[in-house]
Amino acid sequence: MLKKLTLTAITAFAFSLSGAIAQDDAATDEAPAEETVTEEAPATEETTTEEPAEEAPAEEDATEEEAPAEEASDEEVTEEEAPAEEASEEMTEEEAPAEEASEEMAEEHGEEMHEEEHAEDSHGSAHIEDIAFSFEGPFGTYDQAQLQRGLKVYAEVCRACHGLRYVPIRTLAEPGGLGYSEDEVRAWAADNFEVFDAELDDFRAALPRDNFPAVSGEGMGPDLSLMAKARAGFHGPAGTGLAQLFKGMGGAEYIAAFLTGFTGEEQEVAGQYLYENTAFDGGWVSMPPQLEDGLIEYDDGTEATADQMARDVAAFLMWTAEPKMMARKQAGFVGVIILVVLASLLYLTNKKLWAPHKYGKDMDL
Amino acid sequence: MAGIPHDHYEPKTGFEKWLHERLPIVSLAYDTLMIPTPKNLNWWWIWGIVLAFCLVLQIVTGIILVMHYTPNTEMAFASIEHIMRDVNGGFFLRYMHANGASLFFVAVYIHMFRGLFYGSYKAPREITWIIGMLIYLAMMATGFLGYVLPWGQMSFWGATVITGLFGAIPFIGEGIQTWLLGGPAVGNATLNRFFSLHYLLPFVIAALVAIHIWAFHTTGNNNPTGVEVRRGSKEEAKKDTLPFWPYFVIKDLFALAIVLLIFWAVVGFMPNYLGHPDNYIEANPLATPAHIVPEWYYLPFYAILRAFTADVWAVQLVSWITGGIIDAKFFGVLAMFGAIFVMALAPWLDTSSVRSGQYRPAFKWWFRLLVIDFIVLMWVGARDTNFPHDWISLIGATYWFAYFLVILPLLGVFEKPETPPETIEDDFKAHYPDAPSAAE
Repeated sequence: MLKKLTLTAITAFAFSLSGAIAQDDAATDEAPAEETVTEEAPATEETTTEEPAEEAPAEEDATEEEAPAEEASDEEVTEEEAPAEEASEEMTEEEAPAEEASEEMAEEHGEEMHEEEHAEDSHGSAHIEDIAFSFEGPFGTYDQAQLQRGLKVYAEVCRACHGLRYVPIRTLAEPGGLGYSEDEVRAWAADNFEVFDAELDDFRAALPRDNFPAVSGEGMGPDLSLMAKARAGFHGPAGTGLAQLFKGMGGAEYIAAFLTGFTGEEQEVAGQYLYENTAFDGGWVSMPPQLEDGLIEYDDGTEATADQMARDVAAFLMWTAEPKMMARKQAGFVGVIILVVLASLLYLTNKKLWAPHKYGKDMDL
Repeated sequence: MAGIPHDHYEPKTGFEKWLHERLPIVSLAYDTLMIPTPKNLNWWWIWGIVLAFCLVLQIVTGIILVMHYTPNTEMAFASIEHIMRDVNGGFFLRYMHANGASLFFVAVYIHMFRGLFYGSYKAPREITWIIGMLIYLAMMATGFLGYVLPWGQMSFWGATVITGLFGAIPFIGEGIQTWLLGGPAVGNATLNRFFSLHYLLPFVIAALVAIHIWAFHTTGNNNPTGVEVRRGSKEEAKKDTLPFWPYFVIKDLFALAIVLLIFWAVVGFMPNYLGHPDNYIEANPLATPAHIVPEWYYLPFYAILRAFTADVWAVQLVSWITGGIIDAKFFGVLAMFGAIFVMALAPWLDTSSVRSGQYRPAFKWWFRLLVIDFIVLMWVGARDTNFPHDWISLIGATYWFAYFLVILPLLGVFEKPETPPETIEDDFKAHYPDAPSAAE
C-alpha cells in the first residue's frame, strides 16, 4: 500500500512536470485507472504544437466550403449487414457472413468469415471474435469509406473522452488513408477542434499542422492513437501465436469487440460505476457503453448500427495506429519481388560457379 | 598454427610495392578474402554471413534512427511516433531495426547449434568459440538495452525486472542495481545510460567479430566431417579447399538473399508479430502489465531463471549450505548465467576423440534432444509459472546443464564413434562422384 502511494506520488510529480497525462492503461489495472492517475493532470486540452506543417501551400484561403465528411464515395461503400451483436456467448453462430461487397475481398477473406474464431486468451474471460477487416493480410488495404465513417464515429462519440495526441490532423489528407483533400482537412480541423497556441497564449481554431488534441482530466479515457496496436485480439492456438500470423494481432478486433461487448450489467465499487464487458480483461470496466443503433448518421447512407460503428471506428483506429501501412506493404511487396529475382540470379551463378568442381564440367544453362 | 598454405598477395606495380612496404592492407584484404575454405561446407555454414549482414544492418539503421530519437522519458515515446509518422521511410527503418534484432538472434542460435553439432568449438578452435560466446553476451545486452529505448510498458517493466536480477546478488546487489539504473528506480538516468551503451556495444561487437574471424582464419574453418584440411603443401591443401572468393561468397550471398526474402516479408507484412502490444503503451510506473515477457530470444534463459524456485530441493540445499546467502532468486540468476557459461566450457567438457557429430551415433540423439529442449524452454519461458509449466521449465533447465556437465564428458568415454573419412576430398567425392581429382 505504502509502495503504491509512493509510486503514485512519484508519478503525479512526473505528470505535473510533463503537463501532459500519460496514457493510462485501463486494461492492466484491476481497479479503474482513472482514480489514481487523474489527480494532478491539467484539465486544459493540451496540444502538441512542435510539429510544423510540412505542407503550407495556400494556408490562408481556408475555405468554409463543406466538412470533408459530407462526401460519400459511392463505389467503395460496402453493405455490411451483420446484426448488432448482443455480446452473449451463443449469439455468434448466426452472424451474417456477408461482409464485403467486392469480389476479391470475398475471395480473400470469405473463408475466415464462415468460421467462428474465439480468441484464446490466457486470462480466460476475454471474448474477441475475428472480423475480416479489409486491411488484413499481405495485400489488405484500408477501406477509405470505412475510415471516413470511423472518423465520424470518433469525432462525434469517442473524442469527448479520448484523445489522439500522436496523430497530426494533416495526415487525414495523406495517401493510403482517408483520402480527403488538404482544403477539406483544413476546413474540418477548424470546424472541429480548438487548440491552445502557446505563441498566441490563447485558443485558436485547429490547423492541419496541429495534432488531434490530447484529452485528459477527471474521468477521461486513455489516448487512442496507438490503441489498435496496443491490444492483441488473439493469442492462440495454445499460446503459440500462430493465429496472429494469419489474422493479424487483432487489435482492431479487440476494439470492435470491446465496444459491442457490454452486457448491460453494472455495479458500483468505491463510488465508481463499473460496467460489465465480455471483451475486457477482468470483465468490468469504468467506461460506460457508448454505441447504440442510430446514434449518428453516416454521410454515405450506411446504416449506423452499433456493430457497424464499432467496426468502422476500429478500422479508423487501426489507421491512426499504423497510418503508413499501405506504403509499408507496398515496399514489402516490391522488396520481395526484387529479392526473388536476386536470389534466382545468385542461385544460377552459384550453380555455374561450382559445376566444374562438383561435376567436372560446365553447367548447361 | 601456421594456417593453410595458399597463394599470397604479390605487389606488382610500383605503387603497390610502395604501399605494401608501409601498410600491407591490400595483402590483408586479399588473404582474408582468398582464404582456403573446406569445399564440403554445407548450408549450415551460411549463417556467419547472415550475422555479419545483421550487424551492418543494425548499425546503419540504428545510426539513422538516432538522428530522430530523443532519449528522454518525457519525449522518447513521442519521438518514436515521430519516426513512425513524420520521418521519410522512418516506419520502415524502425521496423527493420526491431525485426533485424530478431533475425540477428535467429542467425546466432542456428550458428551456435551448428557449432555444437559439428564440434566447431573443439581444439584448436576454443578461442573462436569463446569469442563467439562473448559476442552472444554482448548481443543479449545490446538487445535488452535497445528494447528499453522506445519507452513503452514492456521497455520500462522489462528494464525493472532485468536490472532487478542484479539486485539479487548478495550484499552488493542493491548497490549495483542502483548504480546501473542511476537512481532508485528506472527513470530518465536509466534511459540515458542505456541509450549510450546501446550505441556503444555494437562497435564492441564489431571488434569482437573481427577477432572471431581472425581466430578461425588462423585455425581454418571446421567442416561437416570435422577432418582438418591437409596442410602439407599448397597442392595438398587445394584438394580439400576452394578459395572463399568467389565460391563461398556467392554461395553465402544466395543464402542471404533467401533469408532476406523472408525477413523483408516479415518487415513488410507483419512487422509487429514478434513484438509485444504492451510496448505501444507509453511507460507508466503505476500500471504493471499483467505479464512481463521478455523478447522471444531471451525466453530459453528466462525460463531457466524462473525454473529454480524455493521449492526445488537443490535450491534449498544450496541455500542451507550457504546460510541463506544464495536464496532462490540469486540461484535463478546464477543458473541463467551458468547456462551460458557451461556452453562456453564445451571445448573442455567434450571428451570425444571425434569432432563432428555426424560420426557419433549416441551424441546425435542427445544433441537433438538439446535442440528440442531449447525450443521447449523458449515456449515455456513465455508461459506463467503454474503447473505444469514449473515442472517443464525445471526439467528443461536440468537437461540443459546435464547435457554440458554430464552427457558431453561421459559420451566421450562410453560412445563408440564411427570413422570419419580420411580427407575432406574423400567426403566431397562421396557426394559428387564426378568431381575431378585435382581442383586445378
